Amino acid sequence: MAAANQDTTRPQNTRAIMTFLREHSPFSSMDDTHLAHFAEHATLRFYADEDVVLSPEEGVVKRFYIVKQGRIRGERHNEKEDRAETTFEISQGECFPLAALIGERPTRTLHRASGDTFCLSIEQKAFITLFSESEPFRDFCLRGVSSLLDQVNQRIQSRAMASIGSSNSLDTPLERYALRNPIVCSPDLPVHKAVARMHENNVGSIIITDDNRHPTGIFTLRDLRTMIAEEKGSLDTPIRQVMTKDPCRLPATADAFEAAMLMAEHHFAHLCVVDDDDLLIGVVSERDLFSLQRVDLVNLARTIGTATHLRTLVSLRTDVSRLVDSMLAHGADSGQVVKIITTLNDVTVRRVLELNLKKNDPGIPFTWLTFGSEGRQEQTLLTDQDNGILFETPDGMTEDQVREKLLPFARKVNDELAECGFTLCKGNIMASNPKLCLSDAEWDDWFIRFIDASTPQNLVYSSIFLDMRAVFGPTESLHRLLERVLERIRKNALFQKMLAGNALQRKPPLTMFRNFRYLNEEKKHVLDLKRQGLAPFVESVRVFALANGVENANTLERMEQLSKKGVFDAKDANAWKEAYSLIQAIRMRAHQEMLGKGEDLTNYIDPDDLNPLDRRILRESFRQAQRLQQKLEVTYQL
Amino acid sequence: MFEHIKRWLAQRRGGSIGDHDPGNLPTPKKVDDQALSHCRLVVLDLETTGLNASKDEVIAIGAVAIEGGVIHLDDQFDLILRRPELDIRETVLIHGIGTEALTQGHETEDALLYLLEWMNGDPVLAYHSAFDQKFLEKTLRAQLGYTLPHVWMDVAELLPAFFPDSNTKGLGLDHWADFFRLDVSERHHAAADAMVTAELTLMALNKAQKIGVKTLKELAEKLHYQRRLKNMHRF
Repeated sequence: MAAANQDTTRPQNTRAIMTFLREHSPFSSMDDTHLAHFAEHATLRFYADEDVVLSPEEGVVKRFYIVKQGRIRGERHNEKEDRAETTFEISQGECFPLAALIGERPTRTLHRASGDTFCLSIEQKAFITLFSESEPFRDFCLRGVSSLLDQVNQRIQSRAMASIGSSNSLDTPLERYALRNPIVCSPDLPVHKAVARMHENNVGSIIITDDNRHPTGIFTLRDLRTMIAEEKGSLDTPIRQVMTKDPCRLPATADAFEAAMLMAEHHFAHLCVVDDDDLLIGVVSERDLFSLQRVDLVNLARTIGTATHLRTLVSLRTDVSRLVDSMLAHGADSGQVVKIITTLNDVTVRRVLELNLKKNDPGIPFTWLTFGSEGRQEQTLLTDQDNGILFETPDGMTEDQVREKLLPFARKVNDELAECGFTLCKGNIMASNPKLCLSDAEWDDWFIRFIDASTPQNLVYSSIFLDMRAVFGPTESLHRLLERVLERIRKNALFQKMLAGNALQRKPPLTMFRNFRYLNEEKKHVLDLKRQGLAPFVESVRVFALANGVENANTLERMEQLSKKGVFDAKDANAWKEAYSLIQAIRMRAHQEMLGKGEDLTNYIDPDDLNPLDRRILRESFRQAQRLQQKLEVTYQL
Repeated sequence: MFEHIKRWLAQRRGGSIGDHDPGNLPTPKKVDDQALSHCRLVVLDLETTGLNASKDEVIAIGAVAIEGGVIHLDDQFDLILRRPELDIRETVLIHGIGTEALTQGHETEDALLYLLEWMNGDPVLAYHSAFDQKFLEKTLRAQLGYTLPHVWMDVAELLPAFFPDSNTKGLGLDHWADFFRLDVSERHHAAADAMVTAELTLMALNKAQKIGVKTLKELAEKLHYQRRLKNMHRF
């Protein structure tokens, strides 16, 4: 009965096309009447593999297409090498050629069918009707492909938002946050008058400025509390004696994310916002940034940073997960969120070290190193310990004597970090391992062996030890070490080539036909987002970074630097950064969901569980990984 | 009911086509040198009450038109005939058309007149076309006394002629649709089956163009040759 009774005013084939359209953006958010208009005015065309669908020679584009089945690829002629290059791929449910159609010009790219392909299309007249009548359609056309990416982010946000209910984006420039006329005073004002002024205006901070309105200090209710509790002086004291001098400041063009990170790092709740001449424009407080959040970043960082017991640190870990939820809801992208997690992890590691130093100081200064994803500042909620110690051997001691003192200390720290949720490293890449608790000279030797004797085992470790960062202790010795390592790698073409070969071991999970290639026979329909999705980016980018003297360990920052140095084409770098971030975003969302269900965290997902939009994004992201690997192949002639 | 169809037509075509003129129906076209890249072809599928043309009846007609090598969705035919007196118990489970839908269908005579006008005498393609041809001719003769012969072509012959190496798992429409991974929106719905048949036809026409089969005549010859080849293989 179903066939005949429902909606009999529209023919079956019109309804079928409407059903197809509804599965894809922007049609999924369009009204039925508009979808029907599309379906009734559509034509269906078939293109065999390699058939030309649209070409620049055909003149001004007159039709709007959507791929019903199969794939279209954009082809650009590479003058230098005299061959065709694929510039983009359009798969099922995607539309083309937007820019040319809107710009009423010929397409600039040859569109060719890739495999048997059916396209629905409408004429310009029907296109214009939809364009003028349907807002979602108009938005989509005007924003082009980028709106697809926006949608992924929006989807991630809206899911996390369900538990929070605020929509301030962390990308919002600070000047857009209502910066109430900041309450200011001169340095000589007595504290009680300053506090009265704060009270009258119902604010928690006052900025002390000089005659030219440059901020010279800040005084907050917290400072008042400390002042009274610790009896630092009478309330008649001029405020300049008790204020925090040289307050943290950001330009108005900085965004909310930068402000949040700065606050988290220094445990401040207020920041001055200044213009180009360092004149005070306003104040932004953590409350302004996260007005509706139950867990806030700064407070959490502060609580972790001042915890007095290990068990407090352990209990705070659940707050970190909640914070990630709310960060996603506030519009932080995946790059921002992994940095926040890393920041909070750093604070935790530092606090564990500090607490242990208080109890049992080995008496020898050291630098606590982290490797791998923590070194790259790319940690998610699923995280292993990868750490080591770098020390300078004090006069009169041997390195082994130093180790005798540091190793028991490191053992305790490793164990306590494990209690805080940083899983012990199965490969024993931890500071309590005598082979990774080394003096600067020993580390230097270690890296010489590592680079010169490039054994397969060494190459496996490259993803760990070549992404290194100091979390605690002096950083100068690490910087010197890194400089020597980079110099050595830059000069060692063979090592670079072997690294490149190693980076190509992990292929993005796409088959020749651009379908997903699954993990293995047993794990059908399972993709490993970390090993199959992110690793190809991380490892290829590392080779380029090390070969070109980029010191950063963070993959996104490495790409940025490589683009600045002209190693990567700026457009490519952007596409790769975006693709990498999107895979990361999908991975993090999966983690949050597993956590919500009380499951163990894994990096596995079944692409069938994703909505069609995410599946497309994932496929395109993997294709970008393939392109990056191709660049590596060409560069190192592999 | 006539008004209803007219309204329906107006909806479909964005204007009225006027009254039917049974004495002045379009003349069926002959197989000639029509260019395949330009001519209009009708791809049709019928749902019937059973497989026996001598006692079973047509209950639904679905058709789409291919013109210039493209399926035009503003040029399609999707009607359930009004045949409440027919016994549909045997087939209702297959095509999903129940008694209620049949009574809401269109007056057969009007629907058939409209079909002839809509077909415009253009060549008709169907999957296992002998079946549809037998049923449609019988119905046209019985209801309208119409006996003019139309050109019919069998898509079940067309496909192996142009894709001889295709390893389909059988000879049915479903097998070809599966082989080319086409979606059928609603199997055993006349219009949906006509659509997937038309999609397969587009693929065959694309191939035809590439190997130099350019006119309807050349296409008919190719099918004729194919049939002889197949018969030879039998002996």
